Amino acid sequence: MTRKILLALAFVLLCSHDMYLKPVSYFLEPGTESRIALFNGTFEKSENVIARSRMQDVSLVGNGRRTALDSTQWREQDSVTILNFTSGEPGTWVAGVSTLPRNIEMAAEDFNAYLEHDGILDMLKERRNAGTLGEDAVERYSKHVKTIFQVGEALSADWNHELGYPLEFIPMENPYDIHPGHRLQVRLLRDGSPLADQLVYVGARAASHTHEDGGEVHSDEADTGAHTHEAGGEEHTHGPGEEVHSHSGDGSEGHQHDGIRSLRTDSEGLVTLDIDAAGVWYLRTIHLVDSPEEGLTHESNWATLTFAIGEGHSHSHGDADSAHTHEDEGIPAYLLWIGSLLILGILFFFFNRRKR
Amino acid sequence: MSGVPVRKGVVLIMLLLPVLASAHGIDSADQALLDRGGLLSYIWVGAKHMLTGFDHLLFLAGVIFYLKGFRDILLFITIFTLGHCITLIGATYMQIRADEHLVDACIALSVVYKGFENLGGFDKLLKTGSPNLLRMVFIFGLLHGLGLSTRLQSFDLGSDQFLSKILSFNVGVELGQVVALVPIVLLIRVWQKKPSYDAFYRAANFYLVIAGVGLFAYQLYGYLNTQ
Repeated sequence: MTRKILLALAFVLLCSHDMYLKPVSYFLEPGTESRIALFNGTFEKSENVIARSRMQDVSLVGNGRRTALDSTQWREQDSVTILNFTSGEPGTWVAGVSTLPRNIEMAAEDFNAYLEHDGILDMLKERRNAGTLGEDAVERYSKHVKTIFQVGEALSADWNHELGYPLEFIPMENPYDIHPGHRLQVRLLRDGSPLADQLVYVGARAASHTHEDGGEVHSDEADTGAHTHEAGGEEHTHGPGEEVHSHSGDGSEGHQHDGIRSLRTDSEGLVTLDIDAAGVWYLRTIHLVDSPEEGLTHESNWATLTFAIGEGHSHSHGDADSAHTHEDEGIPAYLLWIGSLLILGILFFFFNRRKR
Repeated sequence: MSGVPVRKGVVLIMLLLPVLASAHGIDSADQALLDRGGLLSYIWVGAKHMLTGFDHLLFLAGVIFYLKGFRDILLFITIFTLGHCITLIGATYMQIRADEHLVDACIALSVVYKGFENLGGFDKLLKTGSPNLLRMVFIFGLLHGLGLSTRLQSFDLGSDQFLSKILSFNVGVELGQVVALVPIVLLIRVWQKKPSYDAFYRAANFYLVIAGVGLFAYQLYGYLNTQ
């Protein structure tokens, strides 16, 4: 009985714990203090923090250099782990986090539910076909997450830097060099080689004037990202490029772009995203295979990638919530004040002269 | 326009320019400061926001122009403060958030209103007396508070000490308001003794109308472009 409770608890803890790196803004000015939130839960809401000891690699890549970050730059705020950093020189930057593997035991029915819940449908089908749905599982899992953000105006070549994680997304173009209406190809690598025929889920939060905060800790929004398979047992098909279903309007603030799309990598490990809106985009996949290792039944690697697509002008207005923060918004203050003093001066001289 | 007080006023404005030149909005540096600096940082950011809030300052200047003595100034500023405290604290605590473009557009109209009233627009153009100023200042205070609340809610506040953070930001806003009011009041009071004050009064209030209309159009444009 105790074992069952523990297994159920472990299942709950594991479920939906996708990991994402979410900069507070995807468009930063050079040399400014900023932060990147590490969400562990869904794209919308972090359920818990990540212990520093679990972080096998934390890297920032920019201006042609890869910098390993130490644990002192991290802190916890509520259920979010946050990296404080100062943005560097102008260019397109990459941040990545890779965690150490952990094992989890799951009863057969919990394992099956998790496979369905998290969209690992190939393994579910395999178990169904092999008649092994009744077998318990011991899974080793690790997570590898990346984000790409833009500092200043100048684009640079670091956006496709390969961090060497076991599972990793690499865009084929700089996301900050494209705009809505573009098609973006992203390659999925497994140990450095293209991974074919792998399900990838894509979501987006359209840019709007409200705030897409990478660091939003207290979002009351409904989870719109990872729960693509728990809509009341509704059956879903998952053909390439096919819409799974949309949670728009189920309590979210209307940021949701158009639900989660399910794609499958081609023979070269590529998926093609139809970039139809500015805002924050994210990809997630879980590569789960049978494990030959003693004491394990399966091994999984989880990967996510986040980036923002601008409106077609430099520095789209943040939110991120956006890509939306206020930092690049509005009329430059000095122009406002100089213009004001000028108008005031002209008016004063006009009225003063008329008086005489 | 010559004269030592006037020159001092201009020098004061020039000295303030670097402070005023910083962004009105919320940026990553502010968020990073709030993340690390505790409640004091909320006071600082609140004060900074008020000092760099062009529309708030214009409205306050318009109110000060209309008033005669310090007692009046104290009364009206207290009413304005009461108004914006209610919505700043209330709306933030209850997480009521308005569209910031629309709120800022309404605040811009409050600037137009004050300039128009100061120029005697109600009497001259509308042939009617102006509404009770104390009541209007209170209503506009509520509106400005909603704008401040919208800005504050742009930050990631966390859940710890939530109310204390709101109150600290509010304290900062009040401190910023006092700091902003001192040079405005001094400039107006000193200039009142000059023969050129009438021209200054008309120029400044015409400017309030122009600036308010400009800010309104800008915010409306921003709103329409985000829909």
